[in-house]
Amino acid sequence: MNFTFVDWAIVVGYLIITVSVGLIGKRFVGNVSHYLVAGRELGLYVGIATLAATEIGTITYMYNGELGYKYGFSAFAPALISGLVMIVVGRTGFVISRFRQLKLMTVPEFFELKYSRGLRLVTGILVALGGILNMGVFLKVEGEFLTIVSGINVRYLVAVMTVILVLEVMYTVVGGMVSVVITDFFQYVLLSVATILVSIYAVSYAGWNNIISKVTTTMGEAGFSPLANPKFGLTFLIWQTLLWLSVTTCWQTTAMRVFSTEGAETSKRVMTWTGFIFLGRGMLPMLWGIAALTLFGTGALTDGVPAPVVNGATLAPIDAMPAMLASILGPGVKGIVVAGMLAATMSVNSSYLLGWSAVISQDIVMPMRQLLGQSPLSSRSQIFVNRVANLFVSLFLMFWGLYYTPPGAVYLYLNITGTIFLAGAFVCVVGGLYWRRANTTGGYLAMLSGAAGAIIPFFFLHWSENITGFAAFGLAAAGLIIGSLFGKTSKALAEPEQIRQEAS
Amino acid sequence: MNFWKLFWTVSLLIAGPSFAWITLVVTIKGFRDLRLMFRRLSQQSEEQSK
Repeated sequence: MNFTFVDWAIVVGYLIITVSVGLIGKRFVGNVSHYLVAGRELGLYVGIATLAATEIGTITYMYNGELGYKYGFSAFAPALISGLVMIVVGRTGFVISRFRQLKLMTVPEFFELKYSRGLRLVTGILVALGGILNMGVFLKVEGEFLTIVSGINVRYLVAVMTVILVLEVMYTVVGGMVSVVITDFFQYVLLSVATILVSIYAVSYAGWNNIISKVTTTMGEAGFSPLANPKFGLTFLIWQTLLWLSVTTCWQTTAMRVFSTEGAETSKRVMTWTGFIFLGRGMLPMLWGIAALTLFGTGALTDGVPAPVVNGATLAPIDAMPAMLASILGPGVKGIVVAGMLAATMSVNSSYLLGWSAVISQDIVMPMRQLLGQSPLSSRSQIFVNRVANLFVSLFLMFWGLYYTPPGAVYLYLNITGTIFLAGAFVCVVGGLYWRRANTTGGYLAMLSGAAGAIIPFFFLHWSENITGFAAFGLAAAGLIIGSLFGKTSKALAEPEQIRQEAS
Repeated sequence: MNFWKLFWTVSLLIAGPSFAWITLVVTIKGFRDLRLMFRRLSQQSEEQSK
């Protein structure tokens, strides 16, 4: 066991405080808008905290650490792209300003405003499928981190992760977005402190000159230039730019923060400042991975990179970073770091649970009821359906998430499962907002060909992630253009209130 | 290769301090935002019940 009494006290104290604070949110939930978008009352600073906390989890640290270990400084390229894309989207208001003006609650809701209820349903199904598959690997990878750093026996991994999931479900189910925002704020502060602490420890232990020297001798130019690294190259950089443009604008959990801000101008400022955080979100954990390579990269070569060897045992590259933390952090600091990582885990999981369950309830259950001619639900009933969907997603994660192992690098698996719906959704949203001819036929073709372009090449043809990503975005764009040119004339963008009045 | 070494070093020097500085500002000013959000949500609920 690597934990001392002080470390355990810090972690247990954090868990008690965060759940207690989260439960306060229930007091402020009066209707479905409060539950899903916090009444659209997010200010700038709490908006930055909740957006950053939503997209920084232990899973983020793990996959970025793995990328740093395997590809050196070249891995910084996607981190740089993610931050720059957010800053550009924030400065220009590309998509997000219009989204906020439309007062949406979910991304698929836009598809009914611009296209049709049927396409909203199809999009809702693809968004939920891609999102839940994406989230499906979180628990296992996060559990690995906690097991290695704290030294808990692997036998207790399932029990520990179950307890954490139950705690985060408790406050997410009862308080929805209000609880998630409150806890995100405190979790953001804690995870940031942990990030800064670990960065200082990692560089001071490994030594900056040793880090540079290790990457130079192990990988040569490929360890620094993303263009010279065979895993990346120009196609990867273009795909990453497209992917991050779509994540920033159409990823349900990110978009929910945009919908929740107090206005379009605030949403732009939140996005811009969070872009700077995203530079560190990627680069700092990648640096930890490179430090782990410097300290422990002495094993047999795999693709030119030495496997990590810790206390005589050979580990997988993804486990090198937590093993390094277990050995370099002292008592007390280890507790703060693990509490910070738990904060990161809980903020991401609660936001994702809320995001995907919102899509299931608002974009699958509701439209299906309408298509079947059933009576509309009251605000209270909608909250109830959301809570049931939340529990359903949690149960799925318990049974699938702890046993499924993703093939290859986790970062790339997450990219591909996200692309299942992001390629089509991004193309349809941009076309719907900025191209008058975009129509429902084109929308269907874009969503279905984008999903096929992600699933078939990656899971069945075993193409590389870069080519798969290109195929998905290319097919989705071709689908929208061809369908829109040959289909019926498009309808004008409807007002959300009109759609909601029709529904009720 | 030297270009990339310098480029990533400078990028890290921007990313790390930005991360720390924004965290500090958000921590200090976020409490006010949270209080404001609670007040407005309560107002919305009161108006709704009327």
